[in-house]
Amino acid sequence: MIEVRDLTKIYPPDKLALDQVNLKVGAGEFVIILGRSGAGKSTLLRCLNRLVEPSGGEVFWDGMEVTATSREGLRKVRREIGMIFQQFNLVKRATVLENVLAGRLGYAGALKSLFGRFSVEDELLALECLEQVGLAGFSERRADTLSGGEQQRVAIARALAQRPRVILADEPTASLDPRLTQTIMDILKRINKEKDITLIVSQHQLEVAMEYAERIVGLRSGRVLYDGSVSDLGPEAIEAIYGGEEGRDDQSNSRTVGH
Amino acid sequence: MTSRTVEQSAIDRLKIAQKRRNRLYFYLVSIPLLALYGWFLWETEVSLFRLRRGLPWMADFLYRMVPPDFSVLQSALRGAFETFQIAVVGTTIAALLALPLGFLSARNVASPNIFYAVRSAINFFRSIDTMVYALLFVAAVGLGPFPGVLAVITYTTTILAKLYSEAIEDIDPGPVEAITATGATRLQVLRFGIIPQVLPLFVSYLLYRLETNIRAATILGFVGAGGVGFYIQTYLRMMNYPAASCILLVLVAMVMAVDFGSSRLRKRLI
Repeated sequence: MIEVRDLTKIYPPDKLALDQVNLKVGAGEFVIILGRSGAGKSTLLRCLNRLVEPSGGEVFWDGMEVTATSREGLRKVRREIGMIFQQFNLVKRATVLENVLAGRLGYAGALKSLFGRFSVEDELLALECLEQVGLAGFSERRADTLSGGEQQRVAIARALAQRPRVILADEPTASLDPRLTQTIMDILKRINKEKDITLIVSQHQLEVAMEYAERIVGLRSGRVLYDGSVSDLGPEAIEAIYGGEEGRDDQSNSRTVGH
Repeated sequence: MTSRTVEQSAIDRLKIAQKRRNRLYFYLVSIPLLALYGWFLWETEVSLFRLRRGLPWMADFLYRMVPPDFSVLQSALRGAFETFQIAVVGTTIAALLALPLGFLSARNVASPNIFYAVRSAINFFRSIDTMVYALLFVAAVGLGPFPGVLAVITYTTTILAKLYSEAIEDIDPGPVEAITATGATRLQVLRFGIIPQVLPLFVSYLLYRLETNIRAATILGFVGAGGVGFYIQTYLRMMNYPAASCILLVLVAMVMAVDFGSSRLRKRLI
């Protein structure tokens, strides 16, 4: 479904964020991209829908080369890929419903949507998506009156409103406390199972990854160091992803896990 | 231990030397600057003695202004209302014209070439004040409120475009990224990701410029560009001070009323 070949990203002048990454994700998978901050997780996710323009390599979506497609083609790919973010990225002054309706923009008539008008079907779908994340009745609230966990659920509803086949989640729980982390990860897991939507989630927390993932892709300094099931993820692989000279905390953590 | 104390004292000595040098630089710069400032005072003929000598004249001036002559109240109100109209029409048209210019001169929206071209043009036209534009437009389209409106539009467009562009550059890029990711077009990203973030600020800037423009528009009449300024100038020239003071009172009342209303509105917006 998604295939990444030799994907490389260099941020000017010379920061190598992704170094020849190869990855294949099939329909219905639940993949966690694991790595420390700065490992290239966010860059990898953003290269998939070209929010970040790759420096080299190719990304394929159903066999079509995303990295070579036109602006119109890219729009069509993007609307099938939902995305949620660490900082939720809602329009704070807008209502919850308006935020969720933004998920329909890829399908909406250009002129009509510029006047802020959406079809009845779109509005009903948006309300249904809010219900699915447990926020029925929140639609008229202003987004910035919601708590962090609620805002992230609105963001998930926005992604669902796209009727996506894949959802990319970039550190969706990094701004949330452990209890809310669980809530959000549970919702993502449920979406994956019930709606058969592929999920690619980046995470820096090992425990969360171990609890939820089926497949883990370990990233370090822009390179894939591990790609396999959770059960096969051994201490050496964890050490390779987390350990090393840069942070003593990480090192001691991985040792504890190892012994 | 000893080597450490030696090192420390060497550092202290360096610090003291640095301090002395800094003091020297301070005098080297500040004494010529003070001299320059003194020369400016001399050239502009600033003189407390002359100010004191002028005090009785000022008192006389004020004395002749009271009591205000309210028989000219009607023309005062008419003039003040025209000033208000000039400011409202000029500011709103400018607010609309400034919209595209603001986006085109925002670093994070416009492409670099357009950004530099538009921003330079805006800076160029903003360096000229409303009053100078009024003189130009009176020469071009003749006397009356219309050249005043044109002058207000020209200056206000440039300043609002600058304020708009700064607001746009300060937005949270997160929602823009999220909307882009949904497959929205660039216009849709503008409409749903950027405008909701900046619109309340834009309205607040508009109201603030309206306050300023009402004050600016009062003197447009001095050069024949409409409004209450014409009456102020006429009565002062005719040395009809009671009439002039009546007009000034009306003016103060109007400016205060508009400031009050607009600042309350602005507070509710943000």
